[in-house]
Amino acid sequence: MLCVIKEVKKQMCSDAVFNPFVVAQRQFDRVADLLELDEATRALLREPMREYHVSIPVRMDDGRVKVFRGFRCQHNDALGPSKGGIRFHPQETVDTIRALSMWMTWKCAVVGIPLGGAKGGVICDPHDLSAREQEGICRGWVRQLAKVVGPLADVPAPDVMTNAEHMLWMLDEYEAIHGGRFPGFITGKPVGMGGSLGRTEATGYGLIFTVREALKEMGMDIAETTASVQGFGNVAQYAVELYQMMGGKVTAISCWDQVACTPFAYRKTAGVDLGELRGVTDRFGGIDQEKAAALGYEPIPGEKWLEQDVDILIPAAMENQITAEAVGRISGRVKLIAEGANGPTAPEADPLLVERGIVNIPDFLANAGGVTCSYFEQVQSNMNFYWPRDEVLGRLDTKMTDAFLAVSELARRRNLSLRDAAYVIAVDRVAKASKDRGWV
Amino acid sequence: MARPPSEGRNGERRARARRASPAKRVMRSLQERAKELNCLYRVEEVLSKPDLPVEKALQEIIEALPAGLQYPEPSQALIRLDSREYSSSGYGVSPWRVAVPLRRGREVVGEIEVSYSQQVPQADSGPFLREEVRLVNAIADRLGIYLERRAPGPASEQWRGAINLLREADRDLFVRVARRMIRHLYWVNVEDAREVLERTGHRQVSDAEGAGWSENRPEEKATWDDAYYMTNAPFDLAARHLSGDEILHLVQTWMAEERSSLLAKIVSNRQTSIVDITRALRRYKEQMPDEGRLPAVAQKGTVVSLIRRFLSEDLEFIGKAKRNLKATDFLEITEKTVYSRESRGRIGGKSTGLFLAGRIMGPNQHLLQGDFEIKVPNSWYVASESIVEFMEHNDLHDWTLEQKYKDSDRIRREYPILVQLFKHSQFPPDLVTGLSMALDDFQNRPIIARSSSLGEDRQGTAFSGKYKSLFLANQGSKKVRLDALLDAIAEIYASIFGPDPIEYRRERGLLDFDEEMGILLQEVVGTRVGHYYFPTFSGVAFTNNEFSWSPRIARSDGLLRLVPGLGTRAVDRVGDDYPVLIAPGKPGLRANASLDEKIKYAPRMIDVMDLEVGSFKTLSLEGLLKEEGLSYPDFRLVFSTLQRDRLVPPSPVLADPRRENMVATFEGLLGSTTFVKQISTLMRLLEEGLESAVDVEFACEGRSLYVLQCRAQSYAANEAPAPIPSDIAEADVLFRGHKHISNGTLPDIRYVVYVDPLAYAGLASLAELKAVGEAVGRLNQTLPHRRFILMGPGRWGSRGDIKLGVSVTYSDINNTAMLVEIARRKAGYSPDLSFGTHFFQDLVESSIRYLPLYPDEDQGVLNERLLLEAPNQLATFASAFAALGRVVRVVDIAEVTGGGRLRVAMNGERQEALGYLVRV
Repeated sequence: MLCVIKEVKKQMCSDAVFNPFVVAQRQFDRVADLLELDEATRALLREPMREYHVSIPVRMDDGRVKVFRGFRCQHNDALGPSKGGIRFHPQETVDTIRALSMWMTWKCAVVGIPLGGAKGGVICDPHDLSAREQEGICRGWVRQLAKVVGPLADVPAPDVMTNAEHMLWMLDEYEAIHGGRFPGFITGKPVGMGGSLGRTEATGYGLIFTVREALKEMGMDIAETTASVQGFGNVAQYAVELYQMMGGKVTAISCWDQVACTPFAYRKTAGVDLGELRGVTDRFGGIDQEKAAALGYEPIPGEKWLEQDVDILIPAAMENQITAEAVGRISGRVKLIAEGANGPTAPEADPLLVERGIVNIPDFLANAGGVTCSYFEQVQSNMNFYWPRDEVLGRLDTKMTDAFLAVSELARRRNLSLRDAAYVIAVDRVAKASKDRGWV
Repeated sequence: MARPPSEGRNGERRARARRASPAKRVMRSLQERAKELNCLYRVEEVLSKPDLPVEKALQEIIEALPAGLQYPEPSQALIRLDSREYSSSGYGVSPWRVAVPLRRGREVVGEIEVSYSQQVPQADSGPFLREEVRLVNAIADRLGIYLERRAPGPASEQWRGAINLLREADRDLFVRVARRMIRHLYWVNVEDAREVLERTGHRQVSDAEGAGWSENRPEEKATWDDAYYMTNAPFDLAARHLSGDEILHLVQTWMAEERSSLLAKIVSNRQTSIVDITRALRRYKEQMPDEGRLPAVAQKGTVVSLIRRFLSEDLEFIGKAKRNLKATDFLEITEKTVYSRESRGRIGGKSTGLFLAGRIMGPNQHLLQGDFEIKVPNSWYVASESIVEFMEHNDLHDWTLEQKYKDSDRIRREYPILVQLFKHSQFPPDLVTGLSMALDDFQNRPIIARSSSLGEDRQGTAFSGKYKSLFLANQGSKKVRLDALLDAIAEIYASIFGPDPIEYRRERGLLDFDEEMGILLQEVVGTRVGHYYFPTFSGVAFTNNEFSWSPRIARSDGLLRLVPGLGTRAVDRVGDDYPVLIAPGKPGLRANASLDEKIKYAPRMIDVMDLEVGSFKTLSLEGLLKEEGLSYPDFRLVFSTLQRDRLVPPSPVLADPRRENMVATFEGLLGSTTFVKQISTLMRLLEEGLESAVDVEFACEGRSLYVLQCRAQSYAANEAPAPIPSDIAEADVLFRGHKHISNGTLPDIRYVVYVDPLAYAGLASLAELKAVGEAVGRLNQTLPHRRFILMGPGRWGSRGDIKLGVSVTYSDINNTAMLVEIARRKAGYSPDLSFGTHFFQDLVESSIRYLPLYPDEDQGVLNERLLLEAPNQLATFASAFAALGRVVRVVDIAEVTGGGRLRVAMNGERQEALGYLVRV
């Protein structure tokens, strides 16, 4: 199933040599076979239930009107209102959006949040648009789709080349049309404007919740473990923070060095001090080599993060880091990998890890803290009552833990990899809900 | 009346005057006449304004009158007219007065009274000189005629008043005007005029010019014609054939022309010293407060002479400049130039460009209005021959004469020695004195000494950044400041002999041209923050956008490169940082669209002056903000606050740069001020004025926007988009580009110099990294001109980290046909953002093609294998660098393809470029 993500992602930035939607369907078919789904269910889940193609006229800065093409695909909302981002991309195709909306359905289902999957987009390149014109596109998109999206139907979020600013324009337009305040219409809003606390930490913390559960099952005491982390961005920093709070010791962190234009790893066998490192880090997660060395960190080549003699590897930077070749360099002590980044393990490396008995928590589960927190944002917005940070993170813990336990239980029971088990659970939940509703 | 306290002093003065030598007495008397004359001119000027109401005119005459008297300070004037009174402010009745009746026609309608409010020394008529009484009489006559003309009634004879006034005031000028009148009448076929001319024809009009030409000879007896021209007869004759208005117009025009031609004569004489020109200009300015009234022909002659003298002999330039300049504009140059006695005063290219820009902006201030006042910083000029004098003074001339003809290796080797030699030389005393005056004017504000050579900043030879420009903190005692300034100027002088400019000149056939170097001294625009000094922001603006990041941006939309602090980061190529790019014609279309891009490609460093150490420094912006916080001047123009996942304008009250993450976005400047509109207007005015696309450097301390430099924008030959062949086998493709592509074709490339990005990144020592640049420089000499291309990692020739780009200067790459910069995605930089730097100006000017390659992106292709597997010819072309064979590869395409070539097709419209092998 990893292939789906990989293919789809590859598709995001390349032209249509092949169809990402076809690939997504093929992968679904494999899981459907495992689950022995009936024809009607397969037919329902192979296609988006609804899709909208709209024209968005926008008055450009030079006074002329340009018409943009926009989409919204609602793949399935059997579990709840559908949820998914809005992409601004010049090479957008409806098939890319179809594939991604299907992926959203599975992603929400695996963490057990009551949401379906959707995706939207507009064919445009923000690099060629002024802020005012982008606002025009956002408002135009909502005007065209206002009747079919909403807090109880379909909830958009930021995605490729869209951000909080776009979300607020869309929210404002939606509220103007419907005459009221509906902060639950959209997520990714700034705190104070309907956003949720804890969102920055959510993905990194969520990752460590699953690590904690995995270690428990493996009979290891987290306080006795060591880890090596690739990346020092948002996800990695909060993962390290929580892991250390739980008593774990991070001995190496690798990050991109802006000056040397090559990754460097920083090693401290006694354990890195997060506060100390953050003090010498720029806002892109780049660590100042000289200052780090002065603090007693040993700079080593970036790729060495993988070869550290630790119990846990956390790839939280880029895709395709753990290749078949790299597996050979992994220390014999490593027992667990937690995928903080999207697709850090190459498909051909997966069976090799299984062979070596290394447990790999798949990205799609391990980094689902982000989408879970988006769900919390929507819940809070709907209540117009916002939780303190601890409450958000506490609930996140429960969700992530439950999700992990369910996946690992199935994996054990049916002798599946965690990755396969996760997809089976996701598809099964959606199929079941559709059936329960009497759709199929 | 009590004796005024000043009387004692006046008494003394009179006594001194009596004791004074005859020569001094004559001088003093002449000074008085000059004052009276000026007063008359002023009155004439006031009365010739047709739209000025009578009351206003009378008031202005009252204000002009005291200046014509011996003691202007305590004097006052009053005009009574038709039972109304007009007087100087604070007018009081005084016993020391003179009054003359004022007549409208024959009727007495009032009087003019001039008096002193306190006692002054006795003269011919009470406290007044004979001439002063005549002055008041003459003004009363002139005013009478004016009043008659303004009163309803028969057609006026205003011209008579003007003629009478002129005869009173300036007999010589009167005669010259009278002669011109007769000649004019002759031309319009007045028979009597022909007779007069026949009688007087043996003397040319011009002979009478030049007051005082016979001072040391006995006065000649006036001949008949002299006598004739001293009377009103020529004008009476004119009155029979011309209308009063015509006569008046002609007389006024000729008076103005005669005065300006005197200036033209002084200026066009090459022997005249700058001191004399200054004096003549000042006098001219006093006499001609309204220069614009002068006929265009008369103005232009003088202006062209001044342009030739101070700015340039280049005909094309003169043609452009003369439209924008007035004679009196040059006072700014003559009064602010450091020169020696023999100097002609040429100020050099950079100074000229800026001076002209200032003049174009001047009369258009109303168009440039907005949130920022647009101006030019306080500037001084050092005349360009000063370098010759400097070298002669130190016997450097013989030695330096041959320097430029040496081979480039030797020039490179000897340059550091030469710099030291210059720095240890003495300046001629005239220059030291002049520079010392300039420093007094600048006080202790930081200054920048910029090269302003004769060759610099001309269209097609911009010498961008070729010669030195040095910042000076200008702190401490006068001696310390002066020494630092002299040291800097010596270094700038030496830069004439630097390897880069010599190569640049060699290539453009300018080597034999005797380069001279003026210096432009400018006050550095900025604010003191702690012990640092810097402007809020700086930048460079271009009329033409040669690099559009969106197809919606047209060439004519222009380009701005903005940086916080000093503008060096906008004009230099820096390896590790980014300026903010704006197309003023489409300000909404930003080069960076997403939040990530906005943060990642925001400027992170700032160039400042450190006043404590007295040097130029590069600081991290984050560090500076943490250190100085809100004292960053007008920081809301430059910075946005990063709040989790969005950039917001900093709150005027709550913002705290010490604690918050600030990103330099310039949103405040672009979104909430008239900056873009103003700079667009400025660029348009300059483009119209100079009839050429322009390149302007500017800086702003928050309130005023200072233009620091202005010159013609370098341009590349306009090429057609090349068709991109679609049938090339993948194996024959060397590279494909898909972003920031310009148009052009390179049909016949034999060699590829490839600096392997991976091997380059793997070099450990600085010496090795530098050697790569040297090897490229060597290959540049040995490979055939424009038959090879350079390919390599990162930003070539940038300031800053050497790992981010091969360290080269212009002279190391000037023979290549193309520079291909390879951007690996993980490297996190985009090579294109350097468009508009000096380095790029050079490429554009030399028609060296530029192509950024993104092989890690889907559409980017780089056939690395071909480049790495082909035999390396490095040892053949640069044997001394053979050891670098692992990093620097020279591929002979003919060898690889069996006699074929590399062809490059670039198509800007499709944003595609293809480098492919053509086999035979």
